[in-house]
Amino acid sequence: MNVVFAVKQYISKMIEDSGPGMKVLLMDKETTGIVSMVYTQSEILQKEVYLFERIDSQNREIMKHLKAICFLRPTKENVDYLIQELRRPKYSIYFIYFSNVISKSDVKSLAEADEQEVVAEVQEFYGDYIAVNPHLFSLNILGCCQGRNWDPVQLSRATQGLTALLLSLKKCPMIRYQLSSETAKRLAECVKQVITKEYELFEFRRTEVPPLLLILDRCDDAITPLLNQWTYQAMVHELLGINNNRIDLSRVPGISKDLREVVLSAENDEFYANNMYLNFAEIGSNIKNLMEDFQKKKPKEQQKLESIADMKAFVENYPQFKKMSGTVSKHVTVVGELSRLVSERNLLEVSEVEQELACQNDHSSALQNVKRLLQNPKVTEFDAARLVMLYALHYERHSSNSLPGLMMDLRNKGVSEKYRKLVPTVVEYGGKRIRGSDLFSPKDAVAITKQFLKGLKGVENVYTQHQPFLHETLDHLIKAKLKENLYPYLGPSTLRDSFLEEVLASGLHSRSKDSSQVTSRLASRR
Amino acid sequence: MCKKCMELISLPLANKLTSASKDSLSTHTSPSQSPNSVHGSRRASISSVSSVSSVLDEKDDDRIRCCTHCKDTLLKREQQIDEKEHTPDIVKLYEKLRLCMEKVDQKAPEYIRMAASLNAGETTYSLEHANDLRVEVQKVYELIDALSKKILTLDLKQDPPPHPNTLRLQRMIRYSATLFVQEKLLGLMSLPTKEQFEELKKKRKQEVERKKILERRAALESQRRLEERRSDLVSHATNGEVVSLRGGPAPLRKAEGWLPLSGGQGQVEDSDPLLQQIHNITSFIRQAKAAGRMDEVRTLQENLRQLQDEYDQQQTEKAIELSRRQAEEEDLQREQLQVLREREREREREQFQAASLHTRTRSLDFREIRPFQLEPGREPRNHLAHALDLGCSPAQSSVAPKTPSPSSALEPIRLWSGPPALGQEFFPQSTTSQHNEVPSLNPFDEEDLSSPAAEGTASPPAAEPPLSPPACVLKEYNPFEEEEEEEAVAGNPFTSPDSPAPSPFDEEDGHPPQRPSGPPVPGSPFEEAPCTNPFEVDSESGQEDEEPIEEELLLQQIDNIKAYIFDAKQCGRLDEVEVLTENLRELKHTLAKQKRGTD
Repeated sequence: MNVVFAVKQYISKMIEDSGPGMKVLLMDKETTGIVSMVYTQSEILQKEVYLFERIDSQNREIMKHLKAICFLRPTKENVDYLIQELRRPKYSIYFIYFSNVISKSDVKSLAEADEQEVVAEVQEFYGDYIAVNPHLFSLNILGCCQGRNWDPVQLSRATQGLTALLLSLKKCPMIRYQLSSETAKRLAECVKQVITKEYELFEFRRTEVPPLLLILDRCDDAITPLLNQWTYQAMVHELLGINNNRIDLSRVPGISKDLREVVLSAENDEFYANNMYLNFAEIGSNIKNLMEDFQKKKPKEQQKLESIADMKAFVENYPQFKKMSGTVSKHVTVVGELSRLVSERNLLEVSEVEQELACQNDHSSALQNVKRLLQNPKVTEFDAARLVMLYALHYERHSSNSLPGLMMDLRNKGVSEKYRKLVPTVVEYGGKRIRGSDLFSPKDAVAITKQFLKGLKGVENVYTQHQPFLHETLDHLIKAKLKENLYPYLGPSTLRDSFLEEVLASGLHSRSKDSSQVTSRLASRR
Repeated sequence: MCKKCMELISLPLANKLTSASKDSLSTHTSPSQSPNSVHGSRRASISSVSSVSSVLDEKDDDRIRCCTHCKDTLLKREQQIDEKEHTPDIVKLYEKLRLCMEKVDQKAPEYIRMAASLNAGETTYSLEHANDLRVEVQKVYELIDALSKKILTLDLKQDPPPHPNTLRLQRMIRYSATLFVQEKLLGLMSLPTKEQFEELKKKRKQEVERKKILERRAALESQRRLEERRSDLVSHATNGEVVSLRGGPAPLRKAEGWLPLSGGQGQVEDSDPLLQQIHNITSFIRQAKAAGRMDEVRTLQENLRQLQDEYDQQQTEKAIELSRRQAEEEDLQREQLQVLREREREREREQFQAASLHTRTRSLDFREIRPFQLEPGREPRNHLAHALDLGCSPAQSSVAPKTPSPSSALEPIRLWSGPPALGQEFFPQSTTSQHNEVPSLNPFDEEDLSSPAAEGTASPPAAEPPLSPPACVLKEYNPFEEEEEEEAVAGNPFTSPDSPAPSPFDEEDGHPPQRPSGPPVPGSPFEEAPCTNPFEVDSESGQEDEEPIEEELLLQQIDNIKAYIFDAKQCGRLDEVEVLTENLRELKHTLAKQKRGTD
């Protein structure tokens, strides 16, 4: 159940199978992303893979002394490229791996193209998704729906991604989906279809409790993605944007050249791995420790390494020092930028009101706070629009709803049409009419008591009061309390008492934005 | 087939196609581990081709008829064959490079095991062998570096410059080779020099012997206790004192101070079954090594280590027991021996300092070079000395306090190479030590015995403070720069080998600056043996011998730093380059200085 490991295994296997000698890795756009998420360049270099090429690149030279490892998605274009490649081979021998199930006819046409008999191997290795963290993957789809319906292309991509995931983890699951969402149902059906069709592939050792695939639609909880986050990874993603572990820092004022783009990967960066789920305050102190630690090791200019012994120590520590200096400057820059943005955008105050809107039910106080913030010039139009969206979602049907007034305020603040339009859109997308469950007013007694107690004791941290709805859903699922009328099984569910073994998104870190990204793969955020 | 669409293949080509494919079949198998399917199909095609040719051969025509499609395919095949036969330079170089890398992967772990063992003073591996291996591995590294550089610059100057992809490939190979060297080379620890190894061995042996002796003395002790206390208790108390002072295994260090005296006791070893076993295993290892069974050597080595640990522990326990008993005994003697013991203790402590300092020096092999640079750490100390004793010149004043102490006689050889870090580390304490020694400053010029006595007033727990004087001494005793002091110390042992504490300043001028000066063992007035044969030990660890090795280390270090600079430049970390360049300059400076010193 570790997607990073699963993909990494596939890649290592490919490289090993090709034997010794210089190699080139031939990929398409998507598989390039898939590989780069789990392997660093220096790691892969040590396995004698020296070149990385795109199959669609026309500028490739004939290098018969190289072996080619092709890792491609089994798309029509890729098969065509490959056919061209095999007709005029540029490399001595080809090891071909498809990231998903490939049709027999495609294999046949490849075989026909291989006149010079350069293909040594053709296999399916199901690494057809971007492994972000051990328990989180993404398909990097932007806008998978048109209105409330699937974009057919994306539906098939999502199906492929999910089935590849199941195959790479060797799971043949029961499927449940969110009844209120037609898209969730469609996807569930498609996955089921593939499992039925490729039943031979899905013949894994049966576990006593069958694994479960739960498909949710983001429209069930439109609140979570609208909130500012305060844990490291989530903040970076929210404020700077993480794209395949890469962060673009080019807009940071006064950034040095080599820090324009940095990579944050928990696989290779211990500090990041230890801190990605910690909140901002903790990171601040941890980074201070990191700095101090570094300062101790760093040779100071005036210190001059006085003796041979000093020098020897320096030299011995050098690689470590080097690595550390990279880590330190990276994280200091990133955290520095985060804290700059927090103060520039007045995010602490904004977040406090966001949390109030998400977790409390005091309409007049909330309205007052939103109004106050809308007057604040430091609050960006983006944050302002989000506040109004949250208000609109929460107090959609409140008797003294003053959304029109807030919309006026937005206009007066100079928030652009683009953002203002989002307010009605988000209500339409994730409003009460759509939601299958109630986000704001707890229904069962336990939850009511909980909220009551919370009100009595006060909250520990005003910025992290909100718990994503996913948390509750998973909690119910684990306790076998997830209602079947809301989340039915697909097909005849013979195993009524089947118990949860897995969910695609890890519930523990669901506060992290990326986790919500997973569940939101069914629907774009707006 | 009509004439229009008919193509002809000449027989030589047909022969080439058939024969070459047979060749390629055999060559193909080894380099690439392609599955059999490839061969299978190829074999099929060969047979078909040859059957065609055989059929047509009968026709006695020197050409073969075939259609355009077949001709295309056959020509492609010919091209393929040609490609297969041609190995580009880059592949040749690359194969060599990979071989070297494999060699490193093979040899480096072996070397690391050896070096670790040797640095621990074990004699399981021979130093020469390890040195050879080191050189061998380093040669391979150089080769890797050279080969990858060659790959990097391959065809670079060709007229149509190589395709960017080719250049990229070459760069990547070079980069990965650099990564490889960086990663592996740094794991290669340095070996002790011959002298250092001798020291390490001796130390280890002494450790063993020391335990032996402790053991023996335990027996002797009990015997002696039955007798009346005699005057020889003095020396007895000496040793006992140290034990009780330091307690536990620590006395081992002190061992060096006086052990050469009892150097002839090595034979006792075999009396202990454990030791016997250790000897056996050692010889097994030697045999296994001779037979080239590295695996077994390793296992045996492991055994040996366990045995040695066990033995160490046993001895330590004995030592503790002994020291306890001695402490009891000494309580009885305390009153009558008060004065004598005070003095004795003073000697002991100094010996111990010397010894412990020595051990430290040895374990930090790189530090030897240090004394050639004059470190800032010395300055303040001089000032201090100055402040305390305005009568002397700074240099003299810091030396003066130590010279009377017999241990300083040992300094020139061993302690001149003392670690500067140590000196600095102890700097705060040196203040106290200076205070302690103020009284002894004057006694110096007058009478020898008074100084130990004066120093003896320092409380026993203050075993540390005296450490700094030797540290100071070593700095002053740069044999190449400050002849005067050297003479002074060198003079010591020879002027009055018999007198307990020679007063060097009275006699210093009368003696020629003999270089292999002080004996390693301090001329403790109560132990005369070391004083009488100072030359014996000298030859072992003369300064001249150490010199070139230091230089070698320096050079090596310079090379290392250069490599780092290169790397840092490559990665564009300019601030690091700066620091490193600074270091390099300093190192070079040191080297030059040292050379001047030798010349």
